[in-house]
Amino acid sequence: MLEVSGLVKHFGGVKAVDGIDFTVQAGEIFGLIGPNGSGKSTTVNLVCGVFAPTAGTIRIEGRDITRLQPHGRVAAGIARTFQNIRLFGELTVWENLWVADNRQGGIRRWLASGQRIRSEMGEILEFAGLAHRRDTLAGALSFGEQRRLELARAVAARPRVLLLDEPAAGMNLEEVEQLRQRILELRARGLTVLLVEHVMELVMGVTDRIAVLNFGRKIAEGTPSQIQNDPLVREAYLGVNEEADAAH
Amino acid sequence: MLDIIDAAQAVVDGVLFGATYAIIGIGFTLIFGVMHKINMSYAAASIGGAYGSLILLQFVDAPVLAVFLAAGFCGGVIGIIVYYACFRFLPLNNPLATLMSTVGMLMLIDETISHVTTGVPLQYPAMFSNVTIDIGQFFLRGDLVFTFVLACLATVALLLLLYRTKMGIATRAVSQQQVAAQLCGIGINRVNALTFLVTGVLGGLAGALIGASIGILSPMLVLPLTVKGLIVTVIGGLGSIPGAIIAGLMVGAAENIFQFFRGVSERDIYVMLLLFAFLVFRPGGIFAPPQGRD
Amino acid sequence: MDFYAGLAQVIGIHTLLGLSAYCVLLTGQVSIAQAGFFAIGAYTAGVMTVIGDAHILTAIVTGAAAAGVVAALIGFPALRVRGLMLVVATVAFGEAVRLLFFNFTWRVEKDGVMVGPTGTEGFRQIRYFPENGWSTLDVTLLIWAVTALVLAALWWMDRSRAGAVLRATGADELAAQSVGVSITAVKVSAMAIGGVIAGLGGGLYAHVTTHIEHAQFGVMLATFAIAYPILGGLSSVFGTVLAVIFVQGFLIEGLRFMGDWRNLLFGALIVLAMNLRPSGLLDAQGLRVLGNLFKRKERGHA
Repeated sequence: MLEVSGLVKHFGGVKAVDGIDFTVQAGEIFGLIGPNGSGKSTTVNLVCGVFAPTAGTIRIEGRDITRLQPHGRVAAGIARTFQNIRLFGELTVWENLWVADNRQGGIRRWLASGQRIRSEMGEILEFAGLAHRRDTLAGALSFGEQRRLELARAVAARPRVLLLDEPAAGMNLEEVEQLRQRILELRARGLTVLLVEHVMELVMGVTDRIAVLNFGRKIAEGTPSQIQNDPLVREAYLGVNEEADAAH
Repeated sequence: MLDIIDAAQAVVDGVLFGATYAIIGIGFTLIFGVMHKINMSYAAASIGGAYGSLILLQFVDAPVLAVFLAAGFCGGVIGIIVYYACFRFLPLNNPLATLMSTVGMLMLIDETISHVTTGVPLQYPAMFSNVTIDIGQFFLRGDLVFTFVLACLATVALLLLLYRTKMGIATRAVSQQQVAAQLCGIGINRVNALTFLVTGVLGGLAGALIGASIGILSPMLVLPLTVKGLIVTVIGGLGSIPGAIIAGLMVGAAENIFQFFRGVSERDIYVMLLLFAFLVFRPGGIFAPPQGRD
Repeated sequence: MDFYAGLAQVIGIHTLLGLSAYCVLLTGQVSIAQAGFFAIGAYTAGVMTVIGDAHILTAIVTGAAAAGVVAALIGFPALRVRGLMLVVATVAFGEAVRLLFFNFTWRVEKDGVMVGPTGTEGFRQIRYFPENGWSTLDVTLLIWAVTALVLAALWWMDRSRAGAVLRATGADELAAQSVGVSITAVKVSAMAIGGVIAGLGGGLYAHVTTHIEHAQFGVMLATFAIAYPILGGLSSVFGTVLAVIFVQGFLIEGLRFMGDWRNLLFGALIVLAMNLRPSGLLDAQGLRVLGNLFKRKERGHA
């Protein structure tokens, strides 16, 4: 579904991303983790088109999207959430979703589907638990509600692949669990998810496979239990110490 | 052959006069650098300062240098007023409101000048206006040279202030990271007010030098000076003082050259084209300030 | 009676000017170029009726189209500059347009008389309305028909997805791109629409005043153009209308007795208004209050 190969990004002399390959299968929940500065955020921005890569390609369902602008990539099927929430604060919850509904179709769609759009958007609102806040300004929502809207908005863009950039930051355990359920439900609806995250409870509990980055390179890839037991990963996060009991 | 001499003469005169544009450009760019907002009334305040200094002349037959300093003083006062009227109490996250309020201030200053002087241009004193320095085939107008020298001195004084005093460091800190500066104990409002004071003094001085170079002051100077000052700021690079200096001199020279070749009525079209050329080929300006990665 | 009709004409034309800036401001672009598009509409429409013997409607539509095309052309390079640089670029553009018209001469002989724009002297004798028997009331109705049409179109757009997309672009371009909005298309379209609206206003203006010259289309007019939507609030088109009515009606006509002090008062008013109500007369909060007022009237007390 999503194929990243040979991805390189240099910022002047800094090699933020230095040759990364991974493939996310359709219907998978794929985790991307790594210590701070490992290149996770840069990778996210490269996949979404915020930066153009110095080298490498990105493909969605076989289609090369490396040269596309961010909005073109959404049309190709990839949507993202932002680490520091970027909602349209002066628009209502409903309008935030509405903006994301970018399907083509022109006049006929516009004339015929007002009702269908309302019901589809309504459904997404229910899913995010925000139906009762439909007409509230996004800037007036609580932090948790804003995070849910951020997710809902990305879903409203009707992607094939959903890229979540540290969605659990600042959440308590209960909220993380709710997020976990929501991600699983999204997979059940046919979405593929690329999850970039620091919060290990979420990553280990929801992903099928994980890739670990360090210093701009992939140092490990595998199932959650494989990753947990990988000495290279432990070293990257914790330093070399035989005593450490790692993630658990 | 004579034409080239005349053209070169035009360039030289333009560069000398361009020092005043440079100061106006520095003022715009400094306020933008520190407050991340544009003060559209800056040029008006500068001319206003020059007008204010004429009040001094009403009472005392003061030497010209004193009049210039009085213009600086008045400019500083106006600067503080502008700060409190347009910046101090306006919300930080609403750039449109600040922009609009400075536009209102521009109108206010312009109209006040027009009213008090009933629109009649006033004579402005100059120094060395009868002096010319001959260098081979060129001659340098004494008053323009003096303008240039004074502008340079003022700029040097500003740079010393910014780079050698505690206030200067505080100002530069605020312009780079406002919150962090506050956490270091720097009083934002004090720094901002002082920035307006200093740029106001500088602006008043520039206004005086412009009046001296042209010989008269008129409210009709305000809008063209605003436009040129903004152009200089953009060409020089927003937030860059050396950029404003070079751009000011360049625009001064360009203006004179365009006037020399195409006359006064078409001159400004070419200045606009110069700006557009920069926006197309070098939108960051001559010295684009360093961009963060975020 | 004529006085009020004349005032209504001015308010209508300035509303068009303000609405042209409203469109562009929604997308986060501060454009001081609207007076330039206004001028293009004015001169084009004037030339159409005076030299081209066109009907008034053809003339103003052509003027609007010309202004719209130029605005679209400006829209593309405008994408590359942000914030203050766009302000300066649009100021420079507006001034360039004004200077071009300052040098624009096109004289044609009609019925033994020379007509057409004459550079520094301006463009006189745009006498379509008097020559075709239009009364003051007729002209007022035409102006308000056009204004009402534009108002309705913009109000409808504001409530549709297009409005949300425009505002989203103005709020956060990166976020908008990331949900699939082409900000190039949005910003250029907004600029073009603003140009069309300004062109309409300009065409009408030329025929109402019968004599236009470059000095009328300077930075001051461009400033009024953005002042209306900013003072009125960007949450609704009606804010702009209110601002125009207030400025033109109250300030300029109502304070006529103050003579030349009006402009000074206008400047002071702007400073005061921005300090007291930085989001304008009708901001989101004000709109909600108004909305609730109406709802309560409809449903009685819930």
